Amino acid sequence: METLLSVKDLKTYFTTRDGIVKAVDGVSFDLHPSETLGVVGESGSGKSVTAMSIMRLIQGPQGKIEAGSITFRDQDVLAMDEEEVRHLRGDRIAMIFQDPMTSLNPVFRVGDQIAESLIIHKGMNKKESFARAIELLELVGIPKPESRAKDYPHQFSGGMRQRAMIAMALACDPDILIADEPTTALDVTIQAQILELMMELQRRTGSAIIMITHDLGVVADMADRVLVMYAGRPVEFGTADEVFYKPQHPYTWGLLDSLPRHDIDEKGNLCPIQGQPPSLINVPTGCAFNPRCPYAKDRCRTEVPQIRDIEGKHGAACHFAGDVDFFRGCAGVTS
Amino acid sequence: MLKYILRRILQMIPVFIGVTILLFILKAPGILPGDPIRMITGEKEISPVLYQTLIEENGLDKPLVQQYFIYLGKLTHGDLGKSYQKDRPVTELFANTYPNTIKLAFAAIVVEILIGVGAGIISAIKQYSFWDVLVTLSTSILVSVPVFWLGMVLQVIFGIEMKKWTGGAFFLPISGMSGDQFPAWVHLILPAVTLASVSTAYAARIMRSQLLEVMGQDYIRTATAKGLRHRSVVFKHALKNALIPVVTFIGLDLGAMMSGAILTETIFNWPGVGLEIYLAIGQRDWPIVIGGVIIVVFAVMIINLLVDISYAFLDPRIRYGGAAE
Repeated sequence: METLLSVKDLKTYFTTRDGIVKAVDGVSFDLHPSETLGVVGESGSGKSVTAMSIMRLIQGPQGKIEAGSITFRDQDVLAMDEEEVRHLRGDRIAMIFQDPMTSLNPVFRVGDQIAESLIIHKGMNKKESFARAIELLELVGIPKPESRAKDYPHQFSGGMRQRAMIAMALACDPDILIADEPTTALDVTIQAQILELMMELQRRTGSAIIMITHDLGVVADMADRVLVMYAGRPVEFGTADEVFYKPQHPYTWGLLDSLPRHDIDEKGNLCPIQGQPPSLINVPTGCAFNPRCPYAKDRCRTEVPQIRDIEGKHGAACHFAGDVDFFRGCAGVTS
Repeated sequence: MLKYILRRILQMIPVFIGVTILLFILKAPGILPGDPIRMITGEKEISPVLYQTLIEENGLDKPLVQQYFIYLGKLTHGDLGKSYQKDRPVTELFANTYPNTIKLAFAAIVVEILIGVGAGIISAIKQYSFWDVLVTLSTSILVSVPVFWLGMVLQVIFGIEMKKWTGGAFFLPISGMSGDQFPAWVHLILPAVTLASVSTAYAARIMRSQLLEVMGQDYIRTATAKGLRHRSVVFKHALKNALIPVVTFIGLDLGAMMSGAILTETIFNWPGVGLEIYLAIGQRDWPIVIGGVIIVVFAVMIINLLVDISYAFLDPRIRYGGAAE
C-alpha cells in the first residue's frame, strides 16, 4: 500500500533547567492515504509532541527534533527549509487543536480566518476565499453560514468554534488532518457530533486522519489502526480490533481495564493503573512501564523491549508479548 | 454606539458639578491662606475703600454658595469669569495657551508611538538579542530618570554644548515656542522628547511583554499551522491583539498630558495650561484655577471617551451600548 507519511525513530527532546525531557523517544509509524490512525496515551506520553514534530511546530531553542526521519510523499520534512514547510502546513497537512476556545484569533472574523489559508495556499482573492469560507462553514454544519462568517470567535459556542477549526483545517483539502484531542474541551453531546462530522468529512474528502486522544472510546469509533504510546515511546500498535480485542502490552490492558463498561457487572470496580507516569527526564531503565507493571520481571528492569511483531502487523514493546505461557500465567487480567 | 456616547456625555455633568464644588471649597476662607486681592496689589498698602471696591468688582463679597451658583449660571453660557491678576477673560487666556499644550501633547504621543511601540516590537521579535538587551536596559534607566533632570540635561547637551562643538552650526532651541532662527516644529523636539521620555519607556515595556505573551497563545500556533509567514503571524495575528493594552496606556497618557505638563512647560518656558494654572495657584487667581481645571477635566474626559471608542475597533469583543449577544 502507498505510504503517505512515514515517521521513523523520531526523537524530540526539550532542554529544561532540570534536564533533558525526552518527550518523544523513538516513535515510528506509517500512515496510508484515507486511513485513520489513533494515537493513544496518557497526558505526557508524547502524543502531541509527535504531532507538533510532524508539522515542524516545535519551538526552538528549548525544543529540538534530535533524531529520526519524517517523510511525506517521499519528501524529507525535517530537511525542508522554512518556506517549504510553510507550503506543507495548512495545505497538505492541517491540524486541529485541543481547545477551540483559545485556538481562534479573537480579533479577526471567523470567515476571514478560514479564508486566510485559501489566500496563501490557493492564491484566491479576498472575495473568492470568503465565499469559499462560507461554503466550508456550511459543510461543517454551521447554520446561517453567510452571517456567521462575519462573526467573531467570541460569538461562537465551543462546539461551533471546533467546527470552524475543522473548516479551517479542511479549507485546502489536505492529505493529512492531524486532530490533537479535538473533543477533549467539549461536552459529551458535542463530542459525538464533532467526531461524526470528522468521519463524514473524511468519507467525502479522503483525507487521512491522525487522531490523537486519551479517550479509547474515540479511537474505537474512528480508528483503523492504533498506536499506543507511553513515556514518549510506542508500546503497541495494530489494527483497532487487534489492539482492543487482543492487547499484548500490559499497559494497553491497564488502559482498557480502567474504562467503565456497561456490558460487565455494573457494581464491578474500575481497575486503574497503579502509580504515576514516569518523569520524562529520568525514564526508568529497561521498560519504562516496569515500575507500574504488575507482571514485571528482572529482565524488564534492565533491558529496553523492542516492538515485536505479532501476527504480522500487530506489535507490542513487551518482552513477553505473544508469549502464550506468560499469558496463561496472567489469566484473567484482560477480561 | 450613539446611545453609549450620549450616555458618556451625560455622565460628564455630575463630574463637572463635583469638580466645581471641590474647587469652590478651596476658595472658602481658612482653607488656603492668602488673599487674592492682596495678591493683585502686591506689597503696596491700599485704602480700605479701594480694597472693598476690588472685592465687589470680583464678586468676592457675596456668600460662597451664592458665588458658586452665579458661577454655574455663567458656566452654562461658556463664561469662565475674569482673571483677578490679568483682568482678561479666562476663556481668552486658555484659548491662547491650550493649543500649545495640545501641540506639545501630540508631539509627545508621536514620540511615544514611534519610538516606544517600535522599540517594544523589535525587542520582542528579537528576544534576548543585543537590541532587546539595549531596549530593556535603556527603558529601565529612563523610567527612573526625573523629567526635570532629563530636560535640563538635554538643554545642556543639545542646546549649549552642541552649539559649542559645531561652532553654532547645529543645535536645538531650548526655550519658547518660536523664534527667528528655527521653524516652529524644531522648538517642539526637546520638550516633546522630555515629556514623552518616561511614557515612551513604559510603552516599550508594555509592547514587549504583551507581544511576547500573545506569541505564546494558541491562536498564534494555529496561524503558524495554517502556513502563514512568520512575518504575517507577528504583524497581523499577534500585533493586533498585543496593541490593545498599549493603546489603553497611550490613551490614558494622552489624557494626562491634556492637563498640561508643569515641569516640562516650566523648564522649556512653554506657555501651556500647566504653567498657567500653576502660576495662578500661587497668586490665588481663582478664576484661572477653577476655569482651567474645568477645561482640563473636559479635555481629559473627551480623550478618554475617544480612547474607549477606539477599543471597539481593535477588540471586537468590546461593543458598547448594544444588547448582549
